Amino acid sequence: MLTRELAIATYDRGRLIPDRLTRKSHAQYIDLSQSMLDIYRIGIGKSRRSLHTAVRQLFQGITECPPRRILAFCKLLDDVSQYSDGDRGKTAKLRQAVFRAAAKHHPLVAISDSLFDSEESKVKKQIAEMHAMDWPELNDRLFADLIENHRLKSFRGFDRADALLARYNVAQAQVALFDAVQMTIVARQDFKTILRFAKLARLMHKITKTTNHYVFEFDGPASLLQNTHRYGLGMAKFLPGLLSCRGWTMEATIRGSRFQHTLKLELDDRCGLTSETVPANEFDSKVEESFCLRWGEFPRNGWRLERETEILHQGQTAFFPDFVFVHAEGHRVLMEVVGFWTPEYLSHKSKVLQQFKDQQILLAVSQPLKDKIGHDLNQPKIYYKTVIQIEPVLQALAAIRSQP
Amino acid sequence: MSETLNLKKCLSKVLNQAYLDFSGGTLVLDQWSPKAIQRVFGESFWTWDERAEKWRTLASNYGPIRKILDANSFGTLDRVAQLQNVVWPKIGLPNLRLEQIDAVSHWTQSKLGVVVMPTGTGKTEVALRIMADQCCSTLIVAPIRDLMYQWHRRILQGLGYDAGIIGDSVYNVKPVSVTTYDSASIHMPTFGNRFQLIIFDECHHLPGPFRGDAARMSIAPMRLGLTATLERSDGQHLQLEQLIGPVVSRLEINQVAGGSLADYEVFRIPVKLNDRERVRYDMLAEQVSGYVYERRQKEPDFRWQDLCAESLNSQESSVILRAFKEKQSIEDCAEEKLRVLEDLFRLHLGTPMIIFAGSNVMARKVSSRFLIPCLLNHCGKAERIDYLDGLRDGIYPAVVANQVLDEGVDLPAVKIAVVIGGMASTRQAKQRLGRILRRRGKERAVLYEVVAKDTKDTERSRKRRKNDAYERTRHRHL
Repeated sequence: MLTRELAIATYDRGRLIPDRLTRKSHAQYIDLSQSMLDIYRIGIGKSRRSLHTAVRQLFQGITECPPRRILAFCKLLDDVSQYSDGDRGKTAKLRQAVFRAAAKHHPLVAISDSLFDSEESKVKKQIAEMHAMDWPELNDRLFADLIENHRLKSFRGFDRADALLARYNVAQAQVALFDAVQMTIVARQDFKTILRFAKLARLMHKITKTTNHYVFEFDGPASLLQNTHRYGLGMAKFLPGLLSCRGWTMEATIRGSRFQHTLKLELDDRCGLTSETVPANEFDSKVEESFCLRWGEFPRNGWRLERETEILHQGQTAFFPDFVFVHAEGHRVLMEVVGFWTPEYLSHKSKVLQQFKDQQILLAVSQPLKDKIGHDLNQPKIYYKTVIQIEPVLQALAAIRSQP
Repeated sequence: MSETLNLKKCLSKVLNQAYLDFSGGTLVLDQWSPKAIQRVFGESFWTWDERAEKWRTLASNYGPIRKILDANSFGTLDRVAQLQNVVWPKIGLPNLRLEQIDAVSHWTQSKLGVVVMPTGTGKTEVALRIMADQCCSTLIVAPIRDLMYQWHRRILQGLGYDAGIIGDSVYNVKPVSVTTYDSASIHMPTFGNRFQLIIFDECHHLPGPFRGDAARMSIAPMRLGLTATLERSDGQHLQLEQLIGPVVSRLEINQVAGGSLADYEVFRIPVKLNDRERVRYDMLAEQVSGYVYERRQKEPDFRWQDLCAESLNSQESSVILRAFKEKQSIEDCAEEKLRVLEDLFRLHLGTPMIIFAGSNVMARKVSSRFLIPCLLNHCGKAERIDYLDGLRDGIYPAVVANQVLDEGVDLPAVKIAVVIGGMASTRQAKQRLGRILRRRGKERAVLYEVVAKDTKDTERSRKRRKNDAYERTRHRHL
């Protein structure tokens, strides 16, 4: 990620717009990007300072490029690089040895006289010889452990030139979020994935449901008590995950020390930012997947099948029953598949089902688990062996619907 | 009376299983009805958090909340504090001087507050005495990692305790730990419930929207702030009263000079830029002032800060800013300064010296010119200790440093310091002076200021001298 100093943004009527490089507006950056990658690819063994200088020189004559953008590229390239630390311990020992040896000759004078005869050049030559080098070489090694003198060991890089640009665009949006005090997402899809990424970023959520979408408000424990951007970093970490989801709009409230007013950062799933994060969108198990396939796209007996489109939540626990059956006449029934047998899975699932026992959830329980879970719950249940059959589910749905 | 009974009844109904917990730098309380909260705590403290379905408040309110709950046993189970008793293996602290004893006893009356003492008058000893007296889990927060390690060493020497370290890529939390402001504000949500006493060294660093969390997210009912320079030019020091407590003891520098502190003299040595530097300097100066003049013609309100802000997006401003920085670097690294330094080394041969440079580049330049150790951020702990101890023991004749030594880092008794560049801020000057003013017999300390003639360097030096620390000094020109 970038650091705050590298953020570039423009402001327009209360909106913050992070710096963005596109094929259309910044065509020449594709070539520049390729050249930057080349500098690093053939730069193994070179010092950080010389790599950065080479990148800077690429941009000479490019008039519209702010210096900060160049530094940002260097940072992003360094992020996918490995540098040697210049033998920290060895270098420190070398320094100590050199300074100790020189102490006997202090002060090193430019021109010796009768009182002070330790001439700088002579003493340096002498000390260098003790280490079997010449002075320029020793001088070079003396501070090899400084960050700018670290040498490139390996470069993971980016597949293509435009991948670096894509990363840059996301990184500018992320760094803008460092100053975010709150983030609101309106989601029409991928609820579970969005909340899962938010949880990974240690954000707290507030969930509200409207007719056809959910509203998630993200911040952290102390946000309630003080205006703080301490969770902005979490929101920045969350962004690549969000970008991999579908059907959302996001609005973040930004309050930085650099500007007096509150600003808004707005993004949505079609904003063109892309990330390499792949959402784990698979089914929990083969059982769910095969049931979903066999049910098909179309309604059966008036019931349409939706996957994980309903969120049950209480406090900071959110629970996504595997399926939602929606009847043409408006009835909604939740179904949860209970199929794993590990003790951790069972105890977690029991706890969640207990917490939401007031909600009517149809439980599809694997036959061998019949006595292990759910018997203390008053929920309608069906049992399955290897696959969940359609027919028993339809019967259970009909029974639920016929209830007053 | 009947109301109290009523309340107890109504609470006991609700409170069969109420918990007070620490959660990410805040306190949460569940089960209490709004009515009960209102009656017992009033309007202060608690906010309803619908996200967690609990009441929430900042961890720093733990002390008063605990008191209220203690006064009435409401049956709320307090799971907040994770404290461990501390037994000092071996207390070997020096006897305190009168003004230090005063400071300890003033603080002990309320156990919340700031002690203001000039650098070099033994703030650390005051804090160690307080730690020895209180015998409880303690976190010490220092501005930089050098100071953090120094605290670690002092605790080991004075109290025989090997404290935990949080910072400098180490995360080892113990009942007594040392950390930096940055690490403290990052990690307080995780360990803010593990310390009973929190000590903020150089506490003028604490205020701020993020750093202040180091105080707000800690439950510590006992808080001590230490500083030589409370006042900040941005007025933010006023926050300290809320974050730590009021000033409980204040000692001015002129109350102790000549007593605990040595007298000192300041010599100013102006140096000329050489011809090459002069030509370049004048050219850059003209470029910068010409640009600013032109801008002011069009925009009378144009300020230097605007230029800095623009420079990151505009190439023209960035060129001007680069010119300005090069100009500064010419002042800072003037060749002549190295020559003067050579003269000073000759003059004071046999006396340990500390050189303060205005930048890392200059510090390294001095280091490789004279082959004396340079203390920069990249030095490891062992290396730093070797240099500082080596200076004290006469192994190294001198060391050069940039900001690393600005604040509080304990130095061996050094009588000669040379400032060859640096900022104009009053606080920095005070801290730097503090370094060489340690009491050691009747010797007089000397501070040399080497400044580039007819440049901004001279102006900065003039500004520095304005502060009170310099008022008692004699200024001489060599």
